[in-house]
Amino acid sequence: MDWINILGKAFWCGWGALGFGILFNVPPRTLFAIWIGGAMGGFLKFTLLQLTAGVVLASFAGALVVGFSSIPIAHFRHVPPMIFAIPSVIPLIPGVFAYRTMLGLMKLTGAIGPDYTQILSETVNNGSKTLFVIMSLAMGVAVPMHLMRKESVKNISLYKKRN
Amino acid sequence: MYQQENKEAKELGSLLLDVGANLLSSGASCSRIRITMRRLATFFNYTAHISVAPKSISLTLNDETDNAIFSGMRSIAAQGVNFKTISGISRLSWQALEQNFSVQQIRDELNRLLSLPHYPRLVILFFVSLAGSGFCFTFGGKLPEMVITFGATFCGLFIRQEAIKKKFNPYICAFMGSLVASLFAGAFVKAGLDINFEHAFATSVLFLIPGVPLINCFTDLIDGNILNGLIRGINALMFALAIALGLLSAMLIYNLK
Repeated sequence: MDWINILGKAFWCGWGALGFGILFNVPPRTLFAIWIGGAMGGFLKFTLLQLTAGVVLASFAGALVVGFSSIPIAHFRHVPPMIFAIPSVIPLIPGVFAYRTMLGLMKLTGAIGPDYTQILSETVNNGSKTLFVIMSLAMGVAVPMHLMRKESVKNISLYKKRN
Repeated sequence: MYQQENKEAKELGSLLLDVGANLLSSGASCSRIRITMRRLATFFNYTAHISVAPKSISLTLNDETDNAIFSGMRSIAAQGVNFKTISGISRLSWQALEQNFSVQQIRDELNRLLSLPHYPRLVILFFVSLAGSGFCFTFGGKLPEMVITFGATFCGLFIRQEAIKKKFNPYICAFMGSLVASLFAGAFVKAGLDINFEHAFATSVLFLIPGVPLINCFTDLIDGNILNGLIRGINALMFALAIALGLLSAMLIYNLK
């Protein structure tokens, strides 16, 4: 395991999340939590990638950890969970796959040459990776809220209150 | 007595519509809009019936005897993501319940929330550019690519903000941002620098990804707001197409393959 590489990537995922938080104009009190969330999601994703899990599964795990941690943070910082969760999962978006898909699609509009099948399968591969990663990110963020089946996060408590 | 009640319902209805319209235009999901409006209406002993359309909100308030005493609709103008408004309104709705706010107090608090400033422009530009270099690193870029991505994001976002200020079509704003960012990144590739141009190119336009519509699209679909979800998804797709068009134009100009 290349821990230094993983930690470096997690560190920069945190900055990516923070930058998007500022772009989305989040309240300043949530910025630190967003940095931690981004770094956490990135850490899990890149650790799983090193353990040769697929990129979809790794991204889903990263998003899920962000989604679940958004509930205690929503309590702690008094913000709706999405404010923390959306900027935090943005560094997990597969930009390079999307870029390769788009390039491949453009190449597919050209003449049919000997490498056309190769380009076709690569494009379909990259495209489905992009689509499924984005879907799993949205699921990972939305599912924790729906699993709890409560109308508002204020009614969710992760531990039983002793009365 | 009846007149007075009617006046209160009118004020409350107009307030609720403003709350909903502001949530919708700052990028909240449909269920959040409904929950917030319903919470406030229930607090004042009315039943709210809400319909959220992509660019407008309609509301009918019923009293305890189930008579409709207010009906109204609000359309929204520009859409831009603003999480400070969403979290502020969510907090306000709880505060109002706990501290027994009157309609006028909620209205004043809402006006205060809406006048809160954004982050300073330079701060936004700097941190979003830093985020761009962060993405570049996570996709395997090294220091030179990261620096190029920083510059490209900075220029691209600057141009996009200017275009938004001049009230261009939002997709054209995204196209301009993407074109400028990739022209910036491509210049270094064209100059013959020994860099992995895929990393610099692909990450220089990542600041434009429509993350909020994408995630809201799925949130709405899961909640059963299929129509709103589809519309948000198509909106995100249009942004993605605009970004791709900008990137491809730059590659065509530089004749990169």
